[in-house]
Amino acid sequence: MQDSFRIGIDVGGTNTDAVLMSERNVVTYTKNKTSENVTAGVVEAMRMVIAKAEIDKNNIHAVMVGTTHFVNAFVQRKELTEVAIVRIGLPMTSGIPPLVDWPEDLRQTLGQHTFMIAGGSYYTGVDYIPLDEAALESAAQEIKKRGLKSVAISAVFSPIRPDLEERAAKIIKSISPDVSITLSYTVGGMGLIERENAAIINATLQHLAKNVVSALQTALEELNLTAQLYFSQNDGTLMSAESAIEFPVMTCSAGPTNSIRGAAFLTNLDDAIVVDVGGTTSDIGVLLKGFPRETIDAFEIGGVRTNFSIPDVLSIALGGGTIVSFDENNTVKLGPESVGFQLTEKSLAFGGDTLTTSDIAILRGSMTLGDASLVKNIDMDKGAQISSAIHNLIANAVDKLKISAEPVPVILVGGGSVLVDSKLSGASEIIKPEHGTVANAIGTAIAQVGGRVKKLYDFGGEDGRDAAIEQAVNEAKANAVAEGALVDSIKVISIEEYPMTHIQTNSVDVRVRVSGELDLSSLRK
Amino acid sequence: MLIDNLEMVKDLARGAVLLGTGGGGDPYIGQLLLQQQIREGRFVELIDASELADDALVVSIAGVGAPTVLVEHLQANDVCQRLLDRMERYMGRKVDAIIPVEVGGLNSIIPLALGAQVGLPVINADGMGRAFPHIEMTTFSVYGNTACPMFIENELGDAVTIEKTTTDRKTEDIARVVTGTLGAMVYSSLYPMSGHDVKTKAILGSMSYCLEIGRGIREARINYDDPFEGLLKILDQPENDRHAKILFDGKIIDTKRETRDGLHVATIKMIGIDDPSDVFEIEVQNEYLVATRNGETVCIVPDLIATLDRESAEPVTGEKLKYGQRLKILGLAASPIMRRPECLEVFGPSAFGLSEEFICVEDNKIK
Repeated sequence: MQDSFRIGIDVGGTNTDAVLMSERNVVTYTKNKTSENVTAGVVEAMRMVIAKAEIDKNNIHAVMVGTTHFVNAFVQRKELTEVAIVRIGLPMTSGIPPLVDWPEDLRQTLGQHTFMIAGGSYYTGVDYIPLDEAALESAAQEIKKRGLKSVAISAVFSPIRPDLEERAAKIIKSISPDVSITLSYTVGGMGLIERENAAIINATLQHLAKNVVSALQTALEELNLTAQLYFSQNDGTLMSAESAIEFPVMTCSAGPTNSIRGAAFLTNLDDAIVVDVGGTTSDIGVLLKGFPRETIDAFEIGGVRTNFSIPDVLSIALGGGTIVSFDENNTVKLGPESVGFQLTEKSLAFGGDTLTTSDIAILRGSMTLGDASLVKNIDMDKGAQISSAIHNLIANAVDKLKISAEPVPVILVGGGSVLVDSKLSGASEIIKPEHGTVANAIGTAIAQVGGRVKKLYDFGGEDGRDAAIEQAVNEAKANAVAEGALVDSIKVISIEEYPMTHIQTNSVDVRVRVSGELDLSSLRK
Repeated sequence: MLIDNLEMVKDLARGAVLLGTGGGGDPYIGQLLLQQQIREGRFVELIDASELADDALVVSIAGVGAPTVLVEHLQANDVCQRLLDRMERYMGRKVDAIIPVEVGGLNSIIPLALGAQVGLPVINADGMGRAFPHIEMTTFSVYGNTACPMFIENELGDAVTIEKTTTDRKTEDIARVVTGTLGAMVYSSLYPMSGHDVKTKAILGSMSYCLEIGRGIREARINYDDPFEGLLKILDQPENDRHAKILFDGKIIDTKRETRDGLHVATIKMIGIDDPSDVFEIEVQNEYLVATRNGETVCIVPDLIATLDRESAEPVTGEKLKYGQRLKILGLAASPIMRRPECLEVFGPSAFGLSEEFICVEDNKIK
């Protein structure tokens, strides 16, 4: 059997990294500056990494892309489309219509196309009022009349009653067949406002996602590649190009996620803390059973509060370009400013006049870039003092993400990982894997296909909790198979249960994630 | 004082989290309700109790139920208005002003949203001076007013009236049962009282205090290297019966949680930032009840315990506490009226099954 190759590409804010892998081996990798035109940058990265490897293109079976492009477009308000917002909830919810807490400019961009419909469920899963299908029909007519192409549908307690949103989608599709629809239960968690916001953000990005995906597919054809195109999503698993068009928000945290997954792969560890030290910031995340731990807290994106699933990542202002100074008490002050990509012009070791963390690494002999003679005037004790401040900053951030005081392994990846050259308190060991500087691209290339479920389940049934959990796991597995996972390879990543507080009920918010190997036989079709 | 802009609303919500002393429900939904009123050009006037006629009719408006349900149901734009109507029909006269039951958490903002909507003033006072889990835990109740008649309604229009009970604790028990049946999140109009009652029984000035705290935290971040320095200037004014101190500066090392009888029950354990042998614990029953440092009680209900991010001074609710968080813990003296023996009987340590005696937070040994 011939080798089967995969290309993983991680498009970061600064660098676009690409890696070509065969099974578990890194064949070649490249690192380039991210270009203004994301598609062109990805194509160039592919071209370079293939050229370096000198292999038969026909043996490249999958190209995986991790990019924060879509969410950046939302933050920068670029290429967003107007969205029809359909909320099923009346007579509840009317005191807080959609978009109340959105920045004014985004309210303008999205237009005011809100449709409030009667319907919704109690936390028990029982309808409090029948779904108003007639109102949905006239909303659909209006959506058609206004020429809207993207629709976001939300419903009260849809995580336990997804059928409410499904039925609404069917009615709208029957009148406006060519609209793309985002159902809130598929993107967000409990909390109508945050979930509805997630659906709206997703809906407003679908048009852009469609353009980017089809441009990339055309590019693959032009490169004579028969490989399937995949996108990495926030949880570290893959989704098909078709799903990426449908769920652009699911790609928004691919960068940190892929670093964590890459770190797991390079170290063979399943449980650790991963520190990805870049030029300006460090991203610190938790590796739990081989995947990034997710956060359930609401967060803001581009000024909008939402709660779709993202990895629990803490970013601190510390990187290889971080500026070092001293305050009036002669205490070390790290950043938060950084010389960023101007490291090779501004820092001391490169002939500049700014003391950076990299200068300290060079002074201490843990980094071989630059001219060591230019930093030799720095007092070694002072260097040690600064280095210990760097170690303390990272150790504190690591500690914030731990769930107990128990020491854990810490994996360091990214270009700035040389800043750490001795022990970190709270770490059982420190590991700096080979190829760690392209851990993110590797994480993209080795990704598996994911499936998840996130719903309220009734633990009060005949077989109680066990039966409910089993049902949730089966639903998640079915979702993974639908995305292209080999059914026999599917493993459960996590099962989380969140009981409702302030209330006596058997309903429990259950979240299950599974993943499995890409079904290559389906790719070679 | 006219509440007419988003910044004030956010300040109020921030203050309400601090005064919610860990619980009270996240005021975010309340903030959105009021934000929508202001967006539509309807503002609310906060008035001092002294501006009320003695025979004015004042009522409270409060949400009762589960925060997890609230974040799905949000609120119908007419449910509180209907509750006000029912109270007026029963009393046979117009309501003159609304008074919040509690200044902490969600129920501090809901009356403001209604006041903006119907054009009624909200009184700068409340009945709890913080958040409490039960309806009867108010100074109104301690000094002879009753929560009844209490009108309850959900957004669908299912309406219940608790006309008369023997004690406000009984009203609470009935309201809990009714709430479960009506979808686990309902609204109520309750505690009808006179302007004179408010002046003599309420905790006066508490709403502007809430706003002052929220604004103070925001401004202290700009004006001070350590925002706590600015915040304490507001919270600790002995000449105005305000006492506050930083009880602890540390990190969470353990959180034990369970849901018991519908209550969020937890123990939060912390150690000192620089001294791991310095141990601090907080007992939680929806709200924070008692804080101990190295085994010694340093703050106990009804005095207030607040958990704040140690750098930004942003107040954090109890449900969001987790391992590794760095917090400063503040202890705040409850209003003097709340520390009287008859009040301690209703919402002091023994009312929550605690065996410790009440001690004033300003009398503990912490400097």
